[in-house]
Amino acid sequence: MTAITANGASARTLRWRTPWLFLLPFLALFAAMYVAPIVFAFVQSLFTLQRSGLGLAAPTLSFDPFANYARVFSDDEFVASLGRVLVFGAVQVPIMLGLALLIALLLDSKSARGRGFFRLASFLPFAVPTVVAAVMWSFLYSPVTSPINGFLEQAFGFTIPFFSEELALWSVANVVTWCWTGYNMFIIYSALQTIPGEMLEAAKLDGASATRIAWSIKIPMVRPAIILTTVFSIIGSAQLFNEPTVLKPISGGAITSTYTPLMAAQASVAAQNYPYAAAQSVVLAVLVGVASFVFFKVTGRGER
Amino acid sequence: MKKTALRSVGLAGALATGIALTACTSGGLPSADAPVEIDFWGWAPGYAEAVDAYNASQDAVTVNYEEVASGAKGGYEKMLNAVTAGNAPCLAQVGYETLTSFAAQGALEDVSEIAAADEDEFSPATWSAMSVGDAVFGAPVDQGPMAMFYNTEVFESLGLAVPTTWDEYKAAAETIHAADPSKFISATYLNYDYAGFDWQAEAPWFGVEGDAWDVSIDSPEGEQVASYWQGMVDEGLMSPAPMWDQSWYTGIGDGSIATHVGAVWIAGVLKGSAPDGAGKWAVAPMPQWNAGDEVTGNVGGSGTAVLKGCENPEAAWDFAHFMSTDPDTFSALVTTAGLYPAATELLSLPVLSEGDDYFGGQKIYEVFAESFAQVANGWVWGPTMPETVGYLDDALSKAWAGDGTIADALVATQEKTVAGLDAQGLSVAE
Repeated sequence: MTAITANGASARTLRWRTPWLFLLPFLALFAAMYVAPIVFAFVQSLFTLQRSGLGLAAPTLSFDPFANYARVFSDDEFVASLGRVLVFGAVQVPIMLGLALLIALLLDSKSARGRGFFRLASFLPFAVPTVVAAVMWSFLYSPVTSPINGFLEQAFGFTIPFFSEELALWSVANVVTWCWTGYNMFIIYSALQTIPGEMLEAAKLDGASATRIAWSIKIPMVRPAIILTTVFSIIGSAQLFNEPTVLKPISGGAITSTYTPLMAAQASVAAQNYPYAAAQSVVLAVLVGVASFVFFKVTGRGER
Repeated sequence: MKKTALRSVGLAGALATGIALTACTSGGLPSADAPVEIDFWGWAPGYAEAVDAYNASQDAVTVNYEEVASGAKGGYEKMLNAVTAGNAPCLAQVGYETLTSFAAQGALEDVSEIAAADEDEFSPATWSAMSVGDAVFGAPVDQGPMAMFYNTEVFESLGLAVPTTWDEYKAAAETIHAADPSKFISATYLNYDYAGFDWQAEAPWFGVEGDAWDVSIDSPEGEQVASYWQGMVDEGLMSPAPMWDQSWYTGIGDGSIATHVGAVWIAGVLKGSAPDGAGKWAVAPMPQWNAGDEVTGNVGGSGTAVLKGCENPEAAWDFAHFMSTDPDTFSALVTTAGLYPAATELLSLPVLSEGDDYFGGQKIYEVFAESFAQVANGWVWGPTMPETVGYLDDALSKAWAGDGTIADALVATQEKTVAGLDAQGLSVAE
């Protein structure tokens, strides 16, 4: 040990090596659980399944780098699923984050009553696993036994066709909003806590109303949190899977097995076409990466 | 500096110790006289007890049973993924409809050399259902001859006779719905449950012509079946409760779903998941297209297949053979799961001629014994069934909900299936 520290060159190597040793557990897991599967999926997407005759022997893989990608973009159902999550994200994300911001501001306001209760109540849906939440909503949406429609029928004489062609996507959006508003609220609420008290006090002394303070001070101050939650939500929309999958069996065909890009990729896995599923996943990942990057660029420009 | 160096050494040391410990625990060799371990994945009710009975009956082989989601609900996917990943169990429950697809993925182990001696114990149809060409991939367990399950309370309260033809069935549907708009003759049918109707109508979805697949999901015979059910949908006679959903079980229990035309194992499903229906249900022969005909279809039926990579196919076969042929074990499977044996000796099991309390004491298996003898010949399953039923269900669910027609759903399934086969280089006969 003394020999090592006495030698200057070794000490430098050690100084260089120490942080890497600390990073090692993370890097090892990151490489094994994240990078390796992505590389594997990409490599796999360059092959196609090939069989012949009756195909009663195991299929072989042949290298054909563009075949799967050409098929992805000419696959009407996959393209439609991309369009669907795009519409979903464009509508659902602003509504959910608007709600989250509103609740966070209300909880943060000086005059809030029962803050602890409301904070917990709005966060609680996040504690329910999304699959369980979707199962619960599937009971509420059930075409036969929906208590919501039961009540509407009794009270007002009409029912909501939750799984009509037009409404199905928004029925899914409702479940997602229910699950995730509290989570996003909590991130924004935490950011609100970090606003220095003297700043708010100064605004108050200048005669700003609570609404004015929220609009001109609090919201600009929590902008980074809002951007963060937006990016999370964009990614979440693109990866929409649990909720539509659970609702599919009761949707009367409105939710198909290729309803979202991930469901489409999953359907390819079910059909044992791993290379095609890999190509679909890679395309989705690239599109999400581009969307997130563009969003950061656009919002970052405003900041400067 | 010294401290840092020590820390990093400590970290490396800890990692090294961890590795050494792992190496130690995985290093032990099984002793020579320990029993052979066989893993088995399935989902039929009663399989766990069958495995226990086998383990208790001998010491040489220990079977570890794991219950997985039923095939079409993710079980098959899990099995095929496990085969691809190289960590599949030795044995798996595989439905006859999916066996060819499993074989086409190279996911099965040919055990014909071990199994050939036992071939005579099984009905020829089920044996061939577990084989492709000369290769045998496992032991057939049960089969799914169809009949009509019906709620006697609903039929008696309306003074309705039990329908024997599909025309009578539709008339009954109209009467039931007219008497009480919340009641329906039946819920809708998807994938293999729907295929049973085409099977009865002798409209097979696949065939083999030389070295090519003949795909006939949109056959004229099948279109007639489709237009019959289309008529039922158009008149609003089908329950909106999706089969297998909680609302379906509720409807079976409370009489709002008056019949289900399906396989013998539906008896096990009803007993297990719709206890409210006890005493209300009975079984009658499957309705016929022409009065006096005696043709039925088949839904499901499965075998215990040996998956690729099984290191001990002899032991695997020993268990598979036991579960399919042991009289006591199979009697329990009849009672709990409503399984109808593939082994011909077991057709004379006493339990198959006993009354069943759930069905008001009716000897239901006598109906299925008749149906079993009337199952139409010539049905062939294709090589990409998971894909095909995926296409079918997407379109068929819409059709049942009034969006598009059933006939169009079959045409769409036909086109997509053929395109899928073409894309993989399989030969399709024109």
